[in-house]
Amino acid sequence: MVRYLGRRLVGWLVMIFVATNLTYFLASFYLDPRSNYAGRRPPVPEETINATLSAANINDQDPILSRWWHWLEGVVAHWNWGTSPIGDSVNGQIGFRIWVSAELVLGATILVTLLGVALGVYTAARQYSAADRVAQGSSIITLNIPVVVAALVVVILAIKVNQATGSTIFYVVGSQSLDVHGFLPVLLDRLQHLILPTIVLVLTGYASVHFLQRTLLLDSLGTDYVRTARAKGLTRQQAIRRHALRTSLIPTATNVAFSIPALFTGAVLTESIFGWQGMGQYFATTLRTNDINGVVAVAAFGAAMTAIGAMLADIAVVVLDPRVRLG
Amino acid sequence: MSDPLLSVRDLKVSFPSEAGRVDAVRGVSFDLHPGKTLGIVGESGSGKSVTSLAVMGLLSESARVEGSVRLGGRELLGLSDKDMSGIRGKDVAMVFQDPLSSLTPVFPIGRQIVEAIRIHQDVSPKAAADRAIDLLRLVGIPRPETRLKAFPHEFSGGMRQRVMIAMAMANDPKLIIADEPTTALDVTIQAQILEVLKTAQAETGAAVIMITHDLGVVAGSADDVLVMYAGRAVETAPVNEAFYAPRMPYTIGLLEAIPRVDTPRGRPLVPIAGNPPLLIDLPPGCPYVARCPIAIDACREKEPDLLPVASDLGARVVAEVGEVPGQDSDLDHRAACIRAHEIADRRIGGQPVYPVPEVPENRLAAVPREERPTVLEARNLRKEFPLVRGAVLKRKVGTVHAVDGVSFDIRQGETLAIVGESGSGKTTTLLEIMNLSAPEGGDLIVGGVSTASLSKAREQRALRRDLQMVFQDPASAIDPRLTVFDIIAEPMQAIGTPKDEVDARVSELMELVGLDPAQIDRFPAAFSGGQRQRIGIARALSTNPKVVVLDEPVSALDVSIQAGVINLLDELKAKLGLSYLFVAHDLSVVRHLADRVAVMYLGAFVEHGDVDTVFDDPRHPYTQALISAIPLPDPIKERTRERVVLRGDLPSPTDQATGCRFVSRCPLHLTLDSSQQQKCREVVPELTRGSDQADHLHACHFR
Repeated sequence: MVRYLGRRLVGWLVMIFVATNLTYFLASFYLDPRSNYAGRRPPVPEETINATLSAANINDQDPILSRWWHWLEGVVAHWNWGTSPIGDSVNGQIGFRIWVSAELVLGATILVTLLGVALGVYTAARQYSAADRVAQGSSIITLNIPVVVAALVVVILAIKVNQATGSTIFYVVGSQSLDVHGFLPVLLDRLQHLILPTIVLVLTGYASVHFLQRTLLLDSLGTDYVRTARAKGLTRQQAIRRHALRTSLIPTATNVAFSIPALFTGAVLTESIFGWQGMGQYFATTLRTNDINGVVAVAAFGAAMTAIGAMLADIAVVVLDPRVRLG
Repeated sequence: MSDPLLSVRDLKVSFPSEAGRVDAVRGVSFDLHPGKTLGIVGESGSGKSVTSLAVMGLLSESARVEGSVRLGGRELLGLSDKDMSGIRGKDVAMVFQDPLSSLTPVFPIGRQIVEAIRIHQDVSPKAAADRAIDLLRLVGIPRPETRLKAFPHEFSGGMRQRVMIAMAMANDPKLIIADEPTTALDVTIQAQILEVLKTAQAETGAAVIMITHDLGVVAGSADDVLVMYAGRAVETAPVNEAFYAPRMPYTIGLLEAIPRVDTPRGRPLVPIAGNPPLLIDLPPGCPYVARCPIAIDACREKEPDLLPVASDLGARVVAEVGEVPGQDSDLDHRAACIRAHEIADRRIGGQPVYPVPEVPENRLAAVPREERPTVLEARNLRKEFPLVRGAVLKRKVGTVHAVDGVSFDIRQGETLAIVGESGSGKTTTLLEIMNLSAPEGGDLIVGGVSTASLSKAREQRALRRDLQMVFQDPASAIDPRLTVFDIIAEPMQAIGTPKDEVDARVSELMELVGLDPAQIDRFPAAFSGGQRQRIGIARALSTNPKVVVLDEPVSALDVSIQAGVINLLDELKAKLGLSYLFVAHDLSVVRHLADRVAVMYLGAFVEHGDVDTVFDDPRHPYTQALISAIPLPDPIKERTRERVVLRGDLPSPTDQATGCRFVSRCPLHLTLDSSQQQKCREVVPELTRGSDQADHLHACHFR
């Protein structure tokens, strides 16, 4: 198992390296930091622009290969991912944003999975019953609510609650308050900030897991071994939980693991609406400001997340399915 | 007599469907006493499995179940799932058809058996594990202590079925229901599993319901027989009466339709015309009326009740099989036929119920074999598969010797059958031949032309005209989106037959195989399994081949349909002077259809010769075991004959054996002295002529 994962890890590292470098060239060709200065009043002198861009190592008048080599050297030798066009360190930005995003995304992923799987199991075991139809209907609705609408509704409801109770239970903006100290107060403050965006992510995300799990479980409900389990004397519900569930979890686990990278960079709207300084928001900002180094760093982060997701999926499959042979 | 253990009364099961309500079971009643075995026989769709699932309470929730099922006096129908789960596995256990899918793939088998024990018994995990080991030993799984932790995919099909039986025995049930427990298994394994089931019954004292389509299995194990047709019991009887004095035309038809391994081919099989009815909105009258050769107008008026008939074997049967010992039986002889009282000894009014069909005389049979031209010859044919490991860089770690030096010749108008267990290399041999390229080793000669000499694709195509194939499963071997015309015309178009010739030939072929040429534009879905196999045969015949290669052509068909296809093959051979190369695992079919037979084991022939010589005087221990493993549809013969049961499964063909391939399972080997045993292990026996017969080869040192 360890050797197998080690081999996979090496493969993924090569993948990340290739993907990141390809993104570097793509971003260098398509993003134009010089255009940031176009139309400034008063106009910025050519030399100043060149000097600023060269300082950030993104001047299109320098040869691309030398820029690339310089960037690669910085990353490999000093773990320095460069600066934005105006000189902000990419490392500094990403360093804290990863944790902000992780707080939001990991919690939401766990909740989405638990809720989706639980609903999938509950409804599959009661196919075509009233409970199944209600759950299906509501999942179809939430699946189709745009994040913006869901966020607005949640925000309005939260403000109503705050007004009704006369205290700030839910924070609508930001990921934390500045003037809180001590372990428990900080934890409480974080949770108060976290709860609304998490609700939005879960609300708009759980339905796909629900449908996937329901379909998979229905497939394994009809199998001979579930019938065998019932013939041994398990009730239908016991047979489902003990025998049908495990095999049907394998594809769900893979699916969830691979959705993690998309969640990190895909939470753009949620992060923007709730004013969280996360990776999604950073991705949008770097693209808008022609921040080549920032974009490449986000891409590298995405590739790393994909690798982690894939490895998690591998581990989950090996743990769940003894038929999978390693090697 | 004591009270019955299981008493089923007027059981009715129906399912909703798109087309309307399907009445799968329409009033079945029977009693079963402790320790007895009831055989339920019927073709697919007759309602036999639904009946057993209704007893278990395992039908889907959409099913409507009426009537009464009483186990030890307690009514089971209407119990909640929770109450039923206290009975399932404890009082009633079940063994299912397909052992490959009946065990949960992600749990070790030990855990699954322990679970079965601990659901019903309050014992420690340790005690349950000990009991599981005992059970596994009882059903014949070697080294049960270590195998407890193995997963289902690490077992062969036969071994998995043993595990299923161990699980069924776990709580000493009063009733074991076995639903086609051996249908998915090879005959040698089937014989083992039937023995294990008998052990299980002896050990637990349980009553057994044996559901099967194989009359031989019933003959060997059942005390009573219940024949189902279209959701009803059409005949019930003690086993001897059911086989020797059947009264319902359907039962007679089933018995006449099966080929037998113990008698040479005398007369053609008797097929039952038509197909079973759909169980939706059945018209009044007997459901068998459309297929019954002795139907009269009164049969169409009212469905006949299952009424008692005289339990009389008849003078001829008594003379032939001797006085049948009296049985203490659960079921009296009843038949659902208004003419049952007229039927005796499979005859009505002195005439056979089923007239024996005419099969044209094979004019080539008069010509001695040596004087007929050879149409297909294989010399020392070999096929190996490399065994590789590694994801990117594949390296060879071994070789599978799938076909290892096989030689035979087929003369015009002759049928050669290759028989053997799955994995013996039969199908690979066929595919190597159909490939029509130079084989990896040896030589292949089709109609006098060696395939090694074919250099151009055109020459290969010309040769392909002489060699056509019919596949096992007609449902998947025919493109469902082509019409019958397209399917049959395709081989002719491939070899460039002119269009008007094709049109005429397709109609002619359809008539030849017994299909209505008016249905030329229909899609395969509109045809039944037997008819689809006829389409497959017509397609194979379209190019006027010299040799037709048949890969298990009837194994996917029901007994009554199978007989018709076998007769058709016989008839075509006689009419067209065809030669068949025929692969089958069902030795009864082989005996009926083949002129010569080759027994294959691990890629090589172990016995080869004239079919009657081989079947009547098998020399190789493997052939003897194969033949003795076939259940005979004759209760007295089946129960009194000596049976050679092979131990274990087919070994892996990867290791090139130094001696005889069969040594690991050979019953003869065990009886030899040590120097002889050494010869078996070290010297490969050659396929040699026996001392007396000229046309009978076998590969055993000591026969």
